[in-house]
Amino acid sequence: MNAKYFGYTLGLFSLCLSIVGCKDKDYAIPEPKNELQNDCIKRTLGPNLAGLNIEFAYAMGLPATRGKIISAQVEASIQGDTATYLENKSYYTNGSGEDVGIPIGDSSVNQGNVTTVTFTKDTNAVTLRYYYRIPKAAKGKEVRFTFTAKSSNGETVSYVMGPYAISNMDMALDLPVKDGDACFISVADMAVYNEKDATANADKIDLVYLYRAIPNITFKHALVSPGADTAYLPGVVLPAGVNRVTKVKKTWALRDFHLARLQYGIYIDDVDFRQLDMTGTPDYAINLKSEAGVWVETADGKYRAYIYINKADDGKKSGTISMKRYTLK
Amino acid sequence: MMKRYSTITLLLLTALCWMGCRKDTPIDEDGLLITDRAECYVSNFELLGSDFQTVRTKNAEIDTVACTIGVTVFYGTDLKHLYPQFTLVTDAKLDPKITGFTDFSDLATPRTYTVISGNRQVRKTYKVTVTVQPR
Repeated sequence: MNAKYFGYTLGLFSLCLSIVGCKDKDYAIPEPKNELQNDCIKRTLGPNLAGLNIEFAYAMGLPATRGKIISAQVEASIQGDTATYLENKSYYTNGSGEDVGIPIGDSSVNQGNVTTVTFTKDTNAVTLRYYYRIPKAAKGKEVRFTFTAKSSNGETVSYVMGPYAISNMDMALDLPVKDGDACFISVADMAVYNEKDATANADKIDLVYLYRAIPNITFKHALVSPGADTAYLPGVVLPAGVNRVTKVKKTWALRDFHLARLQYGIYIDDVDFRQLDMTGTPDYAINLKSEAGVWVETADGKYRAYIYINKADDGKKSGTISMKRYTLK
Repeated sequence: MMKRYSTITLLLLTALCWMGCRKDTPIDEDGLLITDRAECYVSNFELLGSDFQTVRTKNAEIDTVACTIGVTVFYGTDLKHLYPQFTLVTDAKLDPKITGFTDFSDLATPRTYTVISGNRQVRKTYKVTVTVQPR
């Protein structure tokens, strides 16, 4: 009899345990902090080059009972270029996937290192984009940002971002090259010259662009050092004094995001130029195609560069190149 | 009962001795398994440029009897920075090992690579002759 009761009790206990075990935990709505708050993320990736933007998204908010946001500002440790601005719009994405901006205040004002947006609409929570246009003066330095929001009840909140290293690289995009015309490339000037201008800048010409369709071999688009073996400069008449011997290393599928502006998240950074081994590399690169590239070291050892072939047109014997350059000395 | 226990113990000890005396799997100085295979040849050969793209104008000509590999490369190929890739018969290995870009610019002196069979008993030295596509 005792065993029977013991059995029932054990069964009942197990059942209760099962019910308790399966019970959902009650969800409690988190209590918001009763104060002005902020948060920030950096949106841009890759090295920070002078002339490009560093983009941030700065979010701020406070409960309606504590007032409204009256201003937002960003202080950069190095003054940005004039194109630096803080968005005065709050964006939402509509049903078509388009970002629609709602103005919340006046356009931002730059005063020295500080960029400010003064709010004109009653706003309790907003995320503003900040675009810092990197100045040339910041090259090789570090930059920090202090984001600050102020509310109508006198509260202030800040968020520090950085430091971010600013690259020593320079960049030139979409330089057109054409066989027999704009074909003299200067890494020092980051420019392409025709014969007349090349004569005037003879000591700065590092590469010659040419296109040749030679039977039985594949030559096509080429970047050849002026001082290279003339076999790689067929039919090219060099202006007087154009004779530098530049080191050239051919690469493929190195589609730097800044230069190619394609979907590949590859970035060439300062460290790549510093660690590049150009020992024993030739002074020419032939049979180049779109999306190929060449690493270059100038004859005086002053510059290293990466030249990317954005476009190569066989029919027009021309192309478009983009260049990232790093100063070694 | 005691007799049965002794028999089982004896059997276990015998099994242990047998397992303990089993020959180890043979491994060579590179930590690679030495097998019974005596085949020793190159089945495919590739040559890449500094951009890791092929520089061959056509398939390499491999003579497994004469132990030669002939490869023609594009005009203008940088012969000082070429990356050879060998495909070998199963279990075979190559000496010297390919560790990076290799200088093939001395066209008069072809580079040699030795294929060693899976049983490490057969060695065949292949001569790699590079020819530049004539203009």
